[in-house]
Amino acid sequence: MKYTKIFIAFAAVVFSATAYAQKGVTKLDLGYNIALPQGSFKNDVRNKSYRGFEAKALYGISNNFSIGFGTGFQDFYQKNPRQVYKLEDGSDISAVLSNSIQTIPLLAQVKYSFTPGATVQPYAALGVGGNLISYTQLLGEFGGQDTKFGFAARPEAGIYIPFKKNGETGFRLGASYNIMPFKEIGFTNLNNIGIHAGVSVPLRK
Amino acid sequence: MTRTSFIAMFAIATTAVFSSCTKDPISNLTEEESRIYITNRDSAADFSSYKTYSLADSVSLIENGRSAGREATSWDVAVTTAVANALNARGYRRVARTQNPDLGINVSRIYNTANNIVDLTGYYGGYNGFYDPFYWGYGGYDYYFPPTYGVYQSTEALLSIDMLDLKNAASSQTIKGIWSGIIRGSGIFRSSNVQSQVQALFDQSTYIQTTP
Repeated sequence: MKYTKIFIAFAAVVFSATAYAQKGVTKLDLGYNIALPQGSFKNDVRNKSYRGFEAKALYGISNNFSIGFGTGFQDFYQKNPRQVYKLEDGSDISAVLSNSIQTIPLLAQVKYSFTPGATVQPYAALGVGGNLISYTQLLGEFGGQDTKFGFAARPEAGIYIPFKKNGETGFRLGASYNIMPFKEIGFTNLNNIGIHAGVSVPLRK
Repeated sequence: MTRTSFIAMFAIATTAVFSSCTKDPISNLTEEESRIYITNRDSAADFSSYKTYSLADSVSLIENGRSAGREATSWDVAVTTAVANALNARGYRRVARTQNPDLGINVSRIYNTANNIVDLTGYYGGYNGFYDPFYWGYGGYDYYFPPTYGVYQSTEALLSIDMLDLKNAASSQTIKGIWSGIIRGSGIFRSSNVQSQVQALFDQSTYIQTTP
């Protein structure tokens, strides 16, 4: 019974939509992002990345839907303890292996707001496009840096809380799953979960 | 300042801040972590068939692919001593080069002031110039080394240790290199690092073993 009351109270806050329109408004979403490597990427880069951000510029085509451009930046780094690696020519190399990878997704973005105008506005978003990847793999201090352009997709969900009722500026909190194929330097992908917090501000009406 | 330009500047500043926060993998390495130890072997060689070795007390200097003489600094002596200790520990016995050693050991300091890829094939190709086969008592013979690496970019200096098959030189009419060890990275010429560096090469070459 107690949980039912809490749920009803939460639903009342979330779905207390007023006559708010985001149609015709261009907004910038900007947030700090933490990334957690997943799957096979986690085997090579175990460290969480605390160095990143995500951003979107979105135009409201209806009260619920907005479309636009999404991007971001994330820096991944992992230094592995010294180990002996066997090379194809039969030689052995003892080295500390370091991987440093930076990703900049460039995405076509769509966002759906479930309860525009409510106090708490859940949303879902999807970005699909390319991914600019800069990567460095070092054996000891030896190795090289290179760049590659690949595919990226970023499904995402979160909440938006306006700073004031019907306000166009507010706080955002959400999570995304970043799908990033990458078949270089022994990797197959750079998939990661992103957790972001930031603001949403209008650019122009 | 308009709101749009403020936001644009904020976005640029944010990008700059995070870009500058990128972890530099080189600066995050200690001197020890910067070093790599490369060993290669002749897979056909039976290291237990060799019993004795000869090792010069001095170290050869090779600068930009050219022999620059031999030296016996305190560091050089420390290296040759460490190599001898490692070989003795694996069951080999040091003899004078006039006593028909089974193995010849050459230690070289290689400097490459140009920032090119080290051409180790060229280095071995010049072996006749660096080490006269007369020294080993096989004047007129050629050296042979198996195909080798040399795929990493050069910085400035490396230490090389080569093991030569003198036991079968007469029958094969060549002085065959059966093992080589190379150390590259920061601090390799620091005396305090000599022992651990040489030991690292032998630790990853457990097949170098014989019974006295």
